[in-house]
Amino acid sequence: MLTKDQRVPTSLYVRTALITVAFAVGALWLVRALLLDGLVMLASVVSAVTIFLLLVYLRRRYSAMRWMAIGVVFAALFGVYPILFNIYIGFTNMGNGHLFSKEQSIERLESEQYLPEGSSTFEWKGYQSADGYAIVLIDADPPRFVSESGADETVELDPNGEPPATIDDYRVMAPNQVLPIIDSLADLDFGDPDAPVRIQSFRAAAASQQRYRYDADLDAVIDLSNGVPHQAKEGSWVGPDGGELVPGFISVVGADNFDRFLSNDNLRTPLLRVVVWNFAFAFFSVALSFLVGLGVSMLFDDLPGRRIIRALLIVPYPIPVLVSVLIWRSMLNPDLGTIGEFLAAIFGSSPQFFLDPMWTRIALIVVNIYLSYPYFYVVTSGALRVIPEEQYDAAEVDGAGPWQRFRYITFPQLTVIVMPLLIASFSFNFNNFNLVYIFNNGNPPMADTIIPVGQTDILISFIYKLAFVTSGASDYGLGAAISVALFVVVGSITWFQIRATRALEAR
Amino acid sequence: MSRVRRGRRSWWWRYPLALAMIGFALLPVLWVVSASLNPAKTLVGASLLPENPGFVNYDDLINHPSYPYETWLWNSIKITVISVSLTVMITTLAGYALSRFRFAGKKAFMTGILILNVFPAVLSIIALFGMMQQIGTQISWLGLDTHGGLIAIYVSFGMGINVLLVKAYIDRLPRELDESALVDGATYGQVFRKIVFPLIRPIIVTVSVLQFFAVYGDFVIARVMLRSTDNLTVMVGLLLFQTQRFEQDWGVITAGAVLASLPVLLLYIPVQKYVISGLTSGSVKE
Repeated sequence: MLTKDQRVPTSLYVRTALITVAFAVGALWLVRALLLDGLVMLASVVSAVTIFLLLVYLRRRYSAMRWMAIGVVFAALFGVYPILFNIYIGFTNMGNGHLFSKEQSIERLESEQYLPEGSSTFEWKGYQSADGYAIVLIDADPPRFVSESGADETVELDPNGEPPATIDDYRVMAPNQVLPIIDSLADLDFGDPDAPVRIQSFRAAAASQQRYRYDADLDAVIDLSNGVPHQAKEGSWVGPDGGELVPGFISVVGADNFDRFLSNDNLRTPLLRVVVWNFAFAFFSVALSFLVGLGVSMLFDDLPGRRIIRALLIVPYPIPVLVSVLIWRSMLNPDLGTIGEFLAAIFGSSPQFFLDPMWTRIALIVVNIYLSYPYFYVVTSGALRVIPEEQYDAAEVDGAGPWQRFRYITFPQLTVIVMPLLIASFSFNFNNFNLVYIFNNGNPPMADTIIPVGQTDILISFIYKLAFVTSGASDYGLGAAISVALFVVVGSITWFQIRATRALEAR
Repeated sequence: MSRVRRGRRSWWWRYPLALAMIGFALLPVLWVVSASLNPAKTLVGASLLPENPGFVNYDDLINHPSYPYETWLWNSIKITVISVSLTVMITTLAGYALSRFRFAGKKAFMTGILILNVFPAVLSIIALFGMMQQIGTQISWLGLDTHGGLIAIYVSFGMGINVLLVKAYIDRLPRELDESALVDGATYGQVFRKIVFPLIRPIIVTVSVLQFFAVYGDFVIARVMLRSTDNLTVMVGLLLFQTQRFEQDWGVITAGAVLASLPVLLLYIPVQKYVISGLTSGSVKE
């Protein structure tokens, strides 16, 4: 006999088993679908995550991990995987025209239709129902009714040559109903999926045929309209005359992308200039923001009324960066902005903050000080409290002036305390895409380069331009290769940071 | 108390300096508010005190024919609130486990978090874009141009530092509190809900606010992931707005900038204290 207490685990087992099976089936379906599309990397990471979840939730040994499982899944899928995938992309030709896996590219090509020469077109009339749209080909012989869901039947016209107003559940549409949706109707396939009828224009529809078929033996896509094969070659489908089919696919090109910016002068020179400015920008931003923040906390923290001063000085901190930078952008506008006018009134003309590279750089750093000093103000005013008061008293007894007290007591101790934060801030500013991009989009542009790059671009905004801005020529492979270099820089900076923190803790 | 050596240092000359610094801090803010209230609408000749101030720009913004500002604002708030809630849920659970349990691989796990924390999302932006495009072919609500995908990215990248903050906070709570409850027969789940969670409210506020700032203020990831006008966040929308109509619609843009800042400011003012403690944690251990 089962007691009540013993029955509870049984139902729990059943429930666990059901959830497990449902979850595993769902995951398997996803992995299969990804593999069919040729997305091997994504399929592997999804499998790994699934196995991890099953292990953690089914085996008591790993029960502590249950508390972190969701976090781990997020981190693995959207944190770790993108980094690995980014490295992979760096070794591929991914970019405009090469966005898909080979399988996806074939699938897209095979779904393309064409109108065989000499095929006749028909006058059509549109129908709609809850299931979707259909058309009647009025002058076909015999007249046909073809629907989105694949139906293909003959219809009788009335003596005036008009088709019936309703066919099954479908009702005829008036021209003014057809007109607004003509573009979406033109995307639909009507009737037999292998030789579907498509709308060519407001008047004409025609039966089209599949344009391309992939031949696995040749590893080529055959153009069925003329029998010409397009061979798969380094991510493209190349015809005998050198023409390529669109879309191509992603293929591994080895270290080509890295080679390109190491050996090609047209890439290397601008890249080097970007790197130099990138370091300078990060260094001056951090150093000056820190000094301003420190100055503020040393000068104003013991003033009567310091609470109000403090509250007002922290105001820039919570304002969204985008908003602050937009404001500065307009205030510095030499022709229209307040500061531009002010400077023009004093000096006769305002510096070209968006055209002159030197002034753009100075403006960028000033704006960055505006954005960052509140942080350093808060941090240093906390850190200053940690330095023991006695040291100052002792120094004063020994006759040290204010400068000497700062030079030998405040500054050395403070820098040690905030060094890890300074390095973290350097790392942050090294990749301060937001500021550089919003302020002037990395411009003014460099002259004599074949790639789009500006004189105030930093590496990350340069990568963004390569990948997402160059219309029609996006080069993800090259961008990703540069990101890999950026990983190395950021990784090294952090390594220094960890060492600095350890050194601090050892004291 | 700060390093006060009152009476020894002269202080009067520091007031003009403070005033100048406050000017630097406040001028842009006053300027944008004034521009948003200026019915003249253009940048040309804008002065700090507009004639006939009014809310015309705000009206025009809300009724803009081609830019759905309200939808953008709503999108931003929705995305931010969901991301912050998920982040708080994940980081508190993980922080508790990391602080109180001993298990194999804990050290490796912590190192993993630290390493992941080093590489901000923007570095992997190309891969994130490619990946979302691939996922979207199978799971439509997680792909490009979906809020689901964007939230997933925000949550993943918001975890690292926040898990560590929560763990450090729980480390400082006396163990006896939860251990005595365990001895009395409570489960770990009950201890977490009834004892730990209420005690760690301050750090939850800090984590929420920092994550709120990060998600609400982001535009680069949203810019790359989102496509359709109705899907954009307010930051991306604002950027679009200003690149296309910088000079003609200046008044409307500033109204948009002021409105977009409001949610952050409203949130920030009551919880300033926690944010500042979050900023300084790590530098000063008090």
